[in-house]
Amino acid sequence: MRLFREEAMVEADIRPTLLGVVTLLFLLLFFLMSTSAGQRLAVVDLRLAAPGQAPPLPHSGLVKSVHVTLGERAATVEFEVATTDIGASSTTRELRRIEVPERDGILDGVALSAAIATVHEIDRSQEQAEVEPGPDVSTATVLQVVDIVRGVADAPRFPKVSLR
Amino acid sequence: MKRRRGLFRHSAETGVGLDVGALAPMVDMMTLLLVFLLRTYSTDVAPAPTAGPFALAGTDSEDARRGGIEILLSVDAVHVNGQRIAAWAHIGEEGTIEPLYQMLLQSRPKKRAEIHADASVPWRRLQRVLGTAQAAGVEQIALVGAHSGAM
Repeated sequence: MRLFREEAMVEADIRPTLLGVVTLLFLLLFFLMSTSAGQRLAVVDLRLAAPGQAPPLPHSGLVKSVHVTLGERAATVEFEVATTDIGASSTTRELRRIEVPERDGILDGVALSAAIATVHEIDRSQEQAEVEPGPDVSTATVLQVVDIVRGVADAPRFPKVSLR
Repeated sequence: MKRRRGLFRHSAETGVGLDVGALAPMVDMMTLLLVFLLRTYSTDVAPAPTAGPFALAGTDSEDARRGGIEILLSVDAVHVNGQRIAAWAHIGEEGTIEPLYQMLLQSRPKKRAEIHADASVPWRRLQRVLGTAQAAGVEQIALVGAHSGAM
């Protein structure tokens, strides 16, 4: 007697299972669309200088401070770099400036990002930067610039951004 | 002769019914849609003023909201926790915003505030709100934006 008999193979009907999965997905979709909003909100924690608060201690790395002055359409990135002459007895500081002009009537985010990346490359240990928006700069531009200066989670630049 | 393949087919063995080959891409599509929705949608209902246009600025931040006093700055007024407290037209040009200051004092002991500002609100107004919140003892202030990150 043979253990396995030779019979014509009958393929299992998986259509009811697939239909069940599709129905479940439909229900999940409807549930999601009825309970959620089409916009995900995120927050940017602001660091504000409190009145009477002492300024932070000077950074020990090459870039001592980073300051972004923000206009309606243009920006200026100023940063202090420590320059030490081999014959000098003390470290001197040099203020450098990168101008970011407007592009097509708006702030050139790509150029600003490149400028910030340049400063970050000089001293990766510096985490603080200051952004000083002009009075008429919109909230959208302020948030855009704070995002650029902070960098993303995978590639942070100056995560501790303070607004002035 | 090549046999036509459709969603519904008729054959001697199976009769009229759904074709498995057509159902599989449908399941794929539904799964993709579901993942997209889960990734981009939020159960947070974005606060908005009762009247007038309002659009949050975009941000790349991934940080989720953590609650606190809800300050909403529309183009024409300041709202706290859904209540309109002052119109910009009736707020002076300098100093703390008195109605907001009083409202924030009443909201104690909450030490955190989240500001929902319209994208077009200028920094001079936002700065005054931040200054007022600090004066009222709010220690943590966050600016809320619409997440504009890619999937």
